[in-house]
Amino acid sequence: MIDAPGPWGSGPFTLVEGYSSLENEVAMIEDRPLAGVWLDTNQPRTDRLVLEANTDHWNKERGPRLERVVFRNNVAHDKALELVCTTEGEIDIVTEVDPSDAERVKSSEHAQLHAVDAMRIVTGVINRFTDDVPLRDANARRALNLAVDRDRLVREGFAGYAHALSGLTPHYAGGFSGAEPYPHDPEEARRLMSEAGWPEGRALRLAATSDVEPVANMLAEDYRNALGIEVELTIIPDEELLVAQHTLVEKVMELPFDVLVHAWIDLNSDAPPAFIHGAYFAADGPFRAGPPLDDFEELMGSFATEIDAERQGEIAAQIDQFVYDEALSVFLVAPQALYAINRHVNFVGHAATFELAETEVNEEHWSRRNGQ
Amino acid sequence: MNLVEKAKSLIMGEGRSSEPVGTVHVVDPSPLNWLYITYNTVEELVRVDTQGKIRPAAMQRYRWVDDRTLEVHVRKGERFPDGEALTASSVKRSFDEQGRWTAPHPPGTHFNLDDRTQCEVTGERTVRFRFPEPDGLALGKLRAMHIMSTRFWDEIGFGYERNGTGEGHW
Repeated sequence: MIDAPGPWGSGPFTLVEGYSSLENEVAMIEDRPLAGVWLDTNQPRTDRLVLEANTDHWNKERGPRLERVVFRNNVAHDKALELVCTTEGEIDIVTEVDPSDAERVKSSEHAQLHAVDAMRIVTGVINRFTDDVPLRDANARRALNLAVDRDRLVREGFAGYAHALSGLTPHYAGGFSGAEPYPHDPEEARRLMSEAGWPEGRALRLAATSDVEPVANMLAEDYRNALGIEVELTIIPDEELLVAQHTLVEKVMELPFDVLVHAWIDLNSDAPPAFIHGAYFAADGPFRAGPPLDDFEELMGSFATEIDAERQGEIAAQIDQFVYDEALSVFLVAPQALYAINRHVNFVGHAATFELAETEVNEEHWSRRNGQ
Repeated sequence: MNLVEKAKSLIMGEGRSSEPVGTVHVVDPSPLNWLYITYNTVEELVRVDTQGKIRPAAMQRYRWVDDRTLEVHVRKGERFPDGEALTASSVKRSFDEQGRWTAPHPPGTHFNLDDRTQCEVTGERTVRFRFPEPDGLALGKLRAMHIMSTRFWDEIGFGYERNGTGEGHW
C-alpha cells in the first residue's frame, strides 16, 4: 500500500494526488513454521486519487496510453453505474459490475459491457473436521458435487457470466487438469450420500458471506432437492465477517458450518496451486477446513520446489486432478470480471489485476473533445 | 523496419511512439484497490499480462544458475519519476526492506521468500538470489517485491510513516 503521492515507482503511471491504503490485522495459522494472513479491517482512500502518465516508462508498446486516470472514490457504486450508462464525462470505468446489471449496461446509451475471464472462483469449503456427519468420506463429498446444477448456477446466478469449475483451476489458467465438471446427477448424489450415512434428521449447515448469498440460495435448493436433506442456511452478517474469518483461518474454535460458500482469487494464472489449492488444503492454508492431507502435501512439496516451468505445470495439473478426484471442495464457478466502460474507451482487461497501461480513449471521448 | 528490427522493437517495448492522451474517471470498489494502485504505479521484477501470465518487467531476463540460484538482469535505462536510475542496488534495497518484516504481504506469509535467502549485487544490472532450498515459486513471489525509489524508502515506506511498521502492508 502507498500512503501518499510521490515519485515512488517506475510503473506506467505516477501517483500524483491522494492515496488508497489498507488497515488490517493478523490471523495466525501456525507459529512454527510461521504461517499467517492479514485480514482487512478498513481501506481508507481519499475522495479523489489521480494517476498521471509516466512518459519515460520503458515499455511504450504497452503504454501508458492515457494521460490521466482519476479515481472518484466518493461516488457510490450504484451511482457510478447510473452515470456511466446515462452520461458522458462523469464516469468512464466502473469495476465489479454485478451480473444482474449486465443487461442494463449493454442496453445503455453510453456504456458497453466488458467481460474478462478472471482468476476468480467461487467454491464450497467442505468442513472435514466434523465428526457427526460423514464429510471425511470422499463419496459424501462427491455427493455434494453431483447435487449441484452448475449450468443453472451459471445461467441464473451469474446471467451467463461465469464458467463451471471442475476443480479449483479455471480451464483458461495454467495447470488445469482437463477434467469435466461433476455432472448434475441428483439420483447418484442421493445414493452416495445415503451410503455414506448422513444422519437422519440432521440438517446440512450451509454458510456464506453476503457477497455470495445468491449462490448459497441456489446451492441450498439443489441440496434439498437432490439429497433430500434439510439445509440450514446462514448468511454471515458483514459486521461479523472479521470474527468469522479469524475462526476459519486460526482453526482454534469449531467451524460452525458443513459447507461454506467462499469466493477467492489468484494474482497470476501460471501456478494456481500456489495461491488457490494451497490456501484451501495445505497444512499452512488459511481456508483449510480439515486435517492436513499427506498426499496433497507431497504433491505441493514437489510443485513448490520445481524450477522447470513445464514440469511445474504438470504437477499443478496433478494437484487439480487430486482435489477433483477426492472432491475436496464443492467446485462451483469461475465468475467473469465485469466492467461498465464508456463506449469511447478501448478498455483492456486483465485476468488477475486491474491495470490501465494498455487502455486508451478514441478521438470522440469527452476528454479529447474538451482538450483534457 | 526489417523483421529483426521489428522483433527487437516488440521485445524491447519500443514499437509505439504516440504520446498518452485523454483522461478517464474510474470507480473501483474492489477491496484490492490499494494493490491495483501499487501495480499501476510501481514495477516489480515481474508483472502479469492480460491473461495473468508472469512476464519480465523491471527484470529484462533471468536464468537459473543452478536449482538454488536465480540470476536476474535488471532492465537498462529504467528510471523513477525523480530521475533516480533503477539498478541492481534498487532491487537489493527492496529485498532488504522486505526482509525487515516477518509477514510483510497482506495475502500471507506464503509470499515470503525463505528468510535464509541471500541477495547479492553482482553487477550494476545483475542480482543473484541464493535460496537455501529450490524455490519454484520464486518468480511469483517477486511479483510481491515492489521496487521503489530511495525517496520512498526514506520518506514513507510501506506503512512505515503511518504505522511505524511494514508488517502486512506490502
